[in-house]
Amino acid sequence: MNEFIRIEKLFCSLNKVQVLRNINISLNKSEFVSIIGPNGSGKTTLGKVVSGIIKQDSGDVFIDDKNIKDMSLPEIGRKIGYLFQNPDRQIFAPTVYEELSFAMKYKKTATDIIEKRVNEILNIFELSHLRDASTYSLSQGEKQRLALGAMLLNDPEYLILDEPTTGLDPKRKYELSKLLDSMVNRVGILLISHDKAFVLKHSHRIIELYDGSIINDKKN
Amino acid sequence: MIKKIDPRVKLLIVMCISSLGLAFTRMPMLLAVFLTGMLLSQVLKADLFMLIKRIRIILYLFAVLVIIQSIFVRSGDSLINIGSITILTTEGLSRGLAYLMRVLIILISGAIIATCDMRGLIQGLVQMKLPYDFAFMTSIGIKFLPLLMEELKDTLTAIQLRGIDIKSLPLKERTEIISYIFTPVFAGALTKAKKLSLSVECRGFRAFDKRTSILILKFSPVDYLAITLTFLLTATLIAANQYFI
Repeated sequence: MNEFIRIEKLFCSLNKVQVLRNINISLNKSEFVSIIGPNGSGKTTLGKVVSGIIKQDSGDVFIDDKNIKDMSLPEIGRKIGYLFQNPDRQIFAPTVYEELSFAMKYKKTATDIIEKRVNEILNIFELSHLRDASTYSLSQGEKQRLALGAMLLNDPEYLILDEPTTGLDPKRKYELSKLLDSMVNRVGILLISHDKAFVLKHSHRIIELYDGSIINDKKN
Repeated sequence: MIKKIDPRVKLLIVMCISSLGLAFTRMPMLLAVFLTGMLLSQVLKADLFMLIKRIRIILYLFAVLVIIQSIFVRSGDSLINIGSITILTTEGLSRGLAYLMRVLIILISGAIIATCDMRGLIQGLVQMKLPYDFAFMTSIGIKFLPLLMEELKDTLTAIQLRGIDIKSLPLKERTEIISYIFTPVFAGALTKAKKLSLSVECRGFRAFDKRTSILILKFSPVDYLAITLTFLLTATLIAANQYFI
């Protein structure tokens, strides 16, 4: 049923340290799944392997039945939106507007459509007043919202959000919560988080990692 | 034994080959400096492969610069023409290759410096009478390089994850994207430098005028031999350059 991501016998090591051990999971587009676990348990690495940023040692990851070994990063990026733990790592344009319009500009989207969609996102994420601001002068919360907005403009079919609530005040967290609720039935979401309350509020399923292995996988 | 060569000797070697690389203009001499540098980097066990792997993102930029150097020089005999327009001349080709050689010599120098441990390098610079502040800044600069390369890689990944296949873009757009890759890295470097300066000041950097060090470098017989060989090699290359002129 709607199986979008399939991970089979996945092992991954970083700098000769085994980070993921024999991970087997299937993720559906209709599910909101959260991955929890202590620091160093492999949560972020798992997200990065699925989105093709890190290569695994062995095992397979299939997106829409296609092995990611046969996919390029841009191909994966068109299917999956990955929100980095540190938004600085994915913001590269000098202004907020350029950051949001970047992908559409290079995909030759018509200017009026770019304008309309960017304005929509600016309104949703309350960034309209910062439209022409330098991305380097934004606060952590604003950067987080900008990175999320830019990712959504890419129309991904699945979202991987690595610690999206970091740096957000309660009001912004509530706004993010509302936004994720509105997206649940349209795209699949994999949330990597330490924020227990946020995880419990949104997740249909919670997967717990410890020392690179899955120790718990239950419905919420 | 080679690994224990004094950092000051390595600095001397790098100073000699990079100065010769910048001073020489004739292609055969630049090639000779490049080959000498390669030989020395192998003797000093510098990891050239790792260096190339780290900078592979900007190799494309170097290639563009070599082409630009080549096609904008009008003097010399024409080599490639399209109709009545000369694209490449002998002088252009020679300048492009000379630029490439210089870049490679600088990269080899970087790989040789990278074989020094950071603490030893700072102490080497201090014992060469460089003020500690400058020695510290130099070492921080060297330490930052791999981090900057890491950030370049991350930005490239972020751009690709937006579904943009850089390889399939036309040259004009590909060149535009280079600015998107470099701008955040330079801006980030400035921010990091600001934070780092605040952090070292908070830890009492320069609190006292005089500094002492537990590490004192001493030249061994191998170091003296290496210094002599370096001077001999440098003198030979300078003499060969004079002879060819």
